[in-house]
Amino acid sequence: MEKDIVDYCLEYAKSKKTEYAEAKAVDTDVENIMLKNGLLDAFAVTTDSGFNVRILAEGGLGFASSNKWTKQEAKHVVDMAYKMAKNANRKDKIKFAEEKAVKTKWDVEQKKKVENVSSEDKIKRLLEVDKAVMSQKANVVSRMFIYTTLLTKEYFVNSEGSVISCFVPKLEVMPIGVTVVEGGKTEQLPYKWYGYTGGWEAFEAWKLDEDIAREVQVLQRLLKEGKAIKPSKMDLVCGPEVTGIACHESCGHPMEADRILGREMSQAGRSFIYPDGPYWIGSQIGSDLVTIIDDPTIANSYGYYLYDDEGIKARPRYLYKNGVINEFLQNRETAAKLGTRSNGASRSVNYDREAIVRMANTYLQPGDMSEKEIFEDIKHGVFMNSFTEWNIDDVRFNQRYIGREAYLIENGELKAPVPRPIIETTTKTFWTAVDAVSKKVEFVSASCGKGDPGQGIPVDTGGPLIRLKGVHVR
Amino acid sequence: MSEIMAKTEEIVKKGKALGADEVIATTAFAEYRQSRFSNNQIDIGVAWNDYTTDVLLTWKKRVVATQIRNFENVATTMEKLFKLAKASQENPLYGGVAQGKFKYAKPMADEAVRDVRDPSEYINEAIEAAKKHIGKNIDSGGILFTKYEQIFLVSSEGPEGMDERSAIELSIRAFAARDESGHGVECNSSLKGFKPARAGEKAGEIAKMAKNPKPGKTGKYDIIFEPLFFGSMLGHYGPMGSAFNVMTKMSVFIDKLGHRVAPEIVTICDNPGKYSVNNRVFDDEGVPVKETVFIDKGVLKTYFHNTSTAKIFKTQTTGHAGIVQPHPWSLEMNAGDMSRDEMFKEVKRGLYLTNTWYTRFQNFTTGDFSTIPRDGALWIENGEIKESWKAIRLSDNIQNLFASIAGVSKERLHVHWWGEAEPPSLSPYVLARNIQITRPE
Repeated sequence: MEKDIVDYCLEYAKSKKTEYAEAKAVDTDVENIMLKNGLLDAFAVTTDSGFNVRILAEGGLGFASSNKWTKQEAKHVVDMAYKMAKNANRKDKIKFAEEKAVKTKWDVEQKKKVENVSSEDKIKRLLEVDKAVMSQKANVVSRMFIYTTLLTKEYFVNSEGSVISCFVPKLEVMPIGVTVVEGGKTEQLPYKWYGYTGGWEAFEAWKLDEDIAREVQVLQRLLKEGKAIKPSKMDLVCGPEVTGIACHESCGHPMEADRILGREMSQAGRSFIYPDGPYWIGSQIGSDLVTIIDDPTIANSYGYYLYDDEGIKARPRYLYKNGVINEFLQNRETAAKLGTRSNGASRSVNYDREAIVRMANTYLQPGDMSEKEIFEDIKHGVFMNSFTEWNIDDVRFNQRYIGREAYLIENGELKAPVPRPIIETTTKTFWTAVDAVSKKVEFVSASCGKGDPGQGIPVDTGGPLIRLKGVHVR
Repeated sequence: MSEIMAKTEEIVKKGKALGADEVIATTAFAEYRQSRFSNNQIDIGVAWNDYTTDVLLTWKKRVVATQIRNFENVATTMEKLFKLAKASQENPLYGGVAQGKFKYAKPMADEAVRDVRDPSEYINEAIEAAKKHIGKNIDSGGILFTKYEQIFLVSSEGPEGMDERSAIELSIRAFAARDESGHGVECNSSLKGFKPARAGEKAGEIAKMAKNPKPGKTGKYDIIFEPLFFGSMLGHYGPMGSAFNVMTKMSVFIDKLGHRVAPEIVTICDNPGKYSVNNRVFDDEGVPVKETVFIDKGVLKTYFHNTSTAKIFKTQTTGHAGIVQPHPWSLEMNAGDMSRDEMFKEVKRGLYLTNTWYTRFQNFTTGDFSTIPRDGALWIENGEIKESWKAIRLSDNIQNLFASIAGVSKERLHVHWWGEAEPPSLSPYVLARNIQITRPE
């Protein structure tokens, strides 16, 4: 990384008639290992390095990037961003909410430096996971594991005097297509995501051998003992993975202020929340047990950061509070439009993408019930511990989740596995039905998709067990 | 440009000198430009330039890869890569890369695409075309995107070539009211023949038809798919034909070669031809691309292969490398014999679905999935559109969807949109019978 090129970009941008300018460099050491059906299919190591400039001029925004670290290219990049900003020719001029300049440095510590773990050791550990999966008494016909390390250095400066640098290491493991066959039938773990901000200690903590072996056992039992349920209204208990995806899809996304203002209308869509619409800040959206928080500052979480990509200090955002729509996710542009301040939700996935409004780690606040208490009052219901297919409409209201690991509940006890139970419902029905919340929160990592071109960004989703009273399950 | 080719070749020579068995270096100089708009105004103009060389190196059936930027530190990077190969493990199934010299078609990139520096006229043209249908209170958003790539490929096994690839795409979603919208795209490899107004007209026409939508009803219906919607279905179905996805059980095509998977009216090819926004003359091994018949009159003819997967399946590469993962470039469904009007006459009770998003699978081997129609979803009775629906989901099985095709239109559109209609395709209107629609309960 050549900071002087970034500083030059800013100085050169400031020499033009701009309302605001920023420049950023990103260097990422990437390591990818792909293990397919027990064989090392590919091993890739890359250093991805480049810089960008974003300019607000004449009320329009321009962004340009390059990976060519020369002063001549830097000048060209600034000129392109400036020209693009002016070309916008907007009637409604873009403004940024006021913020103070920040000068800081923040680094994420690795308890065990991933750089100190040899390539051979990483391959060996992945092969051990594969061996554990294959040692289960199940006919596993396919499995793939993708391991990734990302060691990212960033340097950010803006025309208001902010200077921020950081070092962020991340680890990811993705099992894909773990497929079990029994009696001519197939069940599959299509994807799962393990993510962490920090060092190699994550690999130890994940206990992938035990966890993915357990997933195989779940699929095997489902194939052998699975019993379909009769569709009806019943109580549904959602495990942390299902609670988490619902928090992400039907709270986090609709609370992104850029969606609310229409900036994503052609791609990821709009929101059921919009100015002069039926829902706004203060509207009831769920039961009073529903408080959903998006918090980038959770140590070692996959979506961890301390300053966002506009240099704004991160803090927890209480999106839904006691069942009421409370606070949107904002960047400086949306905050100015809505007459508020940024809450540090601006993120980009690399130097060649503009920062847009994103979630970090979105979860449901824990309640006061034990897990036993959640189940004991249920006469007939389903426990959906994890999900397979899921989706939601582009205003984030009509959604469905299909169980991967799910069980029948009878008189408070878990019975036979239920193959792929479905809840297809609305955001309001889902969150209004919550009548019990357990004490223990667990997180599951994911890559959140948004932006054009797409920016899959690291997030955690999570929550405790929640009980939905009298919802339709089929 | 011969200087770039020479530098790319140097990387290959360095790898071979270190003792590598095979080395492929691919240098790309790429210029991408995008203008994003919403609420009828440009939100941001984006320009990004990429200068990279992708390097694949193999040694004793160990496959490693890296990326070199701006030809910096070539010697050190190649030494590190070779060390990585030594630390790696043998993949006994690895079957090598393409060997020999090939003749390539002449690249047909349009340099005029590079000169589109002020995109607002194209965006305004699309918005104005949509306004003709839904009036001045239109709300619209979308993108104008251009790409120009120069590719230099050198393989130690013989292939060597240069390609130039261009594309221009406009996507517009137009709203007549909050829940009355339509989406249109205009995709072309060249500025010649690029007509943004067509996308605007399509978006406006659909938005107008989508007036006052009512919540839809659960049931099994005959469905007419707009090319943009069906392009998304092709985008999920086609890549399942990758031999890689067959090997990893992420496909409905396992053990189906030579079997009927769709009715006789369904023929699907892959063809990254001149018109396609994903046009190219060679794949990532330097094998010339060509039209590949994937499904011929309903029968699965081939998987998509690179050299290595072809060896496993005892066949020849189809020119679809991806070194690790072969994949289709640009799918084409053959035109049928129906007009759109004739297709509507075929439907007694059914739907005309114009776009979709968020397609997700429960199980890739069975193909159970759902997808969420967006923009105009129009209820048809006795061949006529009677009302507009909303809040529905297509919840079926992708094998069943293709097996249920009962009509294919003469007209086809080249569609590519965001992450949904991906890879690009040449898609017709399609009529499928008895498809399951669900709604929230």
